[in-house]
Amino acid sequence: MSRSSRRLVTVLAAVTVASTLAACGGSNDNGGGGGSTANEASDTGVTADTIKIGSHYPLTGVAAPGYSTIPLGAQAYFDYVNKNGGVNGRKIDWVYKDDAYNPTNTSQVVNELVLKDEVFAIMGGLGTPTHSAVVDFLNSEGVPDLFVASGSRLWGEDPKKNPDTFGWQTDYESEGKIIGQYIAQKFPNAKVGLFLQDDDFGQDGEKGVRQFIDKQVVSAQRYTPGNTAVGPQIAALKAAGADFVVGFNVPAYTALSQLTALQLGFKPQWFYSNVGSDPTLVGALLNNFSQGKVADASSLEGTITTAYLPTVDHPDDPWVQLFQKVWDASGQTGPMSNYHIYGMSQAYTMVQALQAAGQNPTRKSLMDAVEKAGADWKGPGLAPFRYSADSHMGIGGMSVVQISGTSTKELQPVMTTDLGDAKIQAYDGKESTPPSSGIPDEKAAK
Amino acid sequence: MQQFVNVTLSGLIQGSIFAAFALALVLIWRSTRIVNFAQGSMAAATSFIALALIHSGQSYWLALVVALAAGFVLGAVVERVIVRPVEGGPELNAVIVTLGLFVAIQALIAIIAGSEFQSFPAPFGLRGFTFGSTTIALTPNSVFVLIAVLITMVLLVALFRFTRVGLAMRASAFGQEVARLLGVRVGRMLTLGWALAAVVGSLSGLLIAGGGLVYPAYMDSLIVFGFVAAILGGLDSPIGAIVGGLLLGLALSYVSGYVPRGSGLVNLAALVILMVVLLVRPGGLFASSTARRA
Repeated sequence: MSRSSRRLVTVLAAVTVASTLAACGGSNDNGGGGGSTANEASDTGVTADTIKIGSHYPLTGVAAPGYSTIPLGAQAYFDYVNKNGGVNGRKIDWVYKDDAYNPTNTSQVVNELVLKDEVFAIMGGLGTPTHSAVVDFLNSEGVPDLFVASGSRLWGEDPKKNPDTFGWQTDYESEGKIIGQYIAQKFPNAKVGLFLQDDDFGQDGEKGVRQFIDKQVVSAQRYTPGNTAVGPQIAALKAAGADFVVGFNVPAYTALSQLTALQLGFKPQWFYSNVGSDPTLVGALLNNFSQGKVADASSLEGTITTAYLPTVDHPDDPWVQLFQKVWDASGQTGPMSNYHIYGMSQAYTMVQALQAAGQNPTRKSLMDAVEKAGADWKGPGLAPFRYSADSHMGIGGMSVVQISGTSTKELQPVMTTDLGDAKIQAYDGKESTPPSSGIPDEKAAK
Repeated sequence: MQQFVNVTLSGLIQGSIFAAFALALVLIWRSTRIVNFAQGSMAAATSFIALALIHSGQSYWLALVVALAAGFVLGAVVERVIVRPVEGGPELNAVIVTLGLFVAIQALIAIIAGSEFQSFPAPFGLRGFTFGSTTIALTPNSVFVLIAVLITMVLLVALFRFTRVGLAMRASAFGQEVARLLGVRVGRMLTLGWALAAVVGSLSGLLIAGGGLVYPAYMDSLIVFGFVAAILGGLDSPIGAIVGGLLLGLALSYVSGYVPRGSGLVNLAALVILMVVLLVRPGGLFASSTARRA
């Protein structure tokens, strides 16, 4: 090794050590539990009067319908909290970027959020394939990766592997189990066809469903997102004699499967998983065809689905009333949708987490707070979170509802369960109501 | 049996739309010797014009006519303003420009019309015909699609074979200088070729949109399959485009319907089919003559 290159190595080594030290210095752990009285810039993305939270959503592209409006809901709720004094006097600065549901873009925008915008935490990053691309990065950087907006098990089943990542919504496997048990009890003679997205969304759902009705399943058909010709799949379900079809699919494929079924004169009882069943969105997609003389295709009347959050069609629900108030005050255009409610509900949980992280939150105190206190938080979710040191899974239950007109009626009250062999139990907790201020008041978690 | 009939019918209908798109590619190839990658985006643009009209309360048929007219104008403008300046250079330049145009038009649609899924009305019913108690995957609308594609093909064959304009277009494409010496206004013929191709492309865009969901990139898969169909048929022959399109549609439908997890294998299957056909018949199934290659 020549002299000059040896010097270069020395310099590089020194720079590396220095930057590592600087990085460590950036995330020191002071004041996490509260106790001090003044607001400090306690960690990356936190100043005396702001907290910066980032996220990624498909604002354009195939997954954009519906999903692109979730961050608007979160924005509305954060604005509401900010107007009422913020979290411990800090305003929430909500930065979200478009990844067009393309994992390559997700990596890029999350890099930007973490390295350039220097967010304190990521909240509600949307999508399984997209978020999978950034989980390792976020965990290696020690960035709290809260409330991933997808029902994959990946976010919560193994906190040792991904200590910084937390799920939020009911996972697809638990949903599948609840659906499977419901069918086994209420439709024991149904010949069940499965219409599945060919990725872990469909696989997890199928696994759950088959735990209960493996013998009832007459055919399982998979579609690849992007291939919109589902004719052969629906024809196969029909040919197999299915009279009950369970769909683990996204909303656009609900519309496509309905259209194709209409074409084939196929009229089973439909049961769409929560993700694909938003009646407003699917209805809007199908409604337009009334000009094409198929007016009766425009509704999902009688379709069964699941719920883990209150929905806009229940204006009497106290949470819906709160969110309606927040939405109206936000000054955003258009009526409030279930996607907005989803965003607002996530934002509500985020505020709970920030409060529980103490007056001067650090990334570590934030994640500790979710692990220790999260399972006790009351919120809009119909069942409690499963957060603990051993599980970062989110909401652990669902009700079964049937679409009727523009509303839904409950067929089975909330049942709770978990991954694998965990039993399905009726949820005995009380329905929560929001605090009168509309803002949670969590104590700093010890 | 029922499954076979339905999968076959879905394949035929899909295939007829591939065929319509392949026709547009053949048309532009025959009249300008350029492969136009922007064809799909141009068709999507005109479909969105039609959708805007339908949303404003106009009838489907008026929207169809306006969209086709818009396609004609768009094709002519693209040729004159964007393709013509690069036409003198290496052949590849024009092709790459159309690729750029493909992305640009799509972005423009997203800016103007938004990138959400929207449903596109169909002119005829979307309910399959019933025979006794069985319903088959053939709807009044898909009959309309099939007929529209066949008529288009007949018109194109007639244009190239029996009219002076068609002859002049072909001449301009093959030997600009010779054609010019013979008194053909080559520039005009090229513009006309692009305009007509854009009309046929727009028609295929509208046909696939009817009774389905549209978004700025909805023509993307069609571009790929349309090219495969056109190459299968020989890129030079309207009948080849139709046969190529129908064969491809059928093959892909069988793959999707009968191979386990076939829905994901469709794109792979298209490549395999293309490879096999080109290995056996390098010029495509209906290559008119190999001697013509310049």
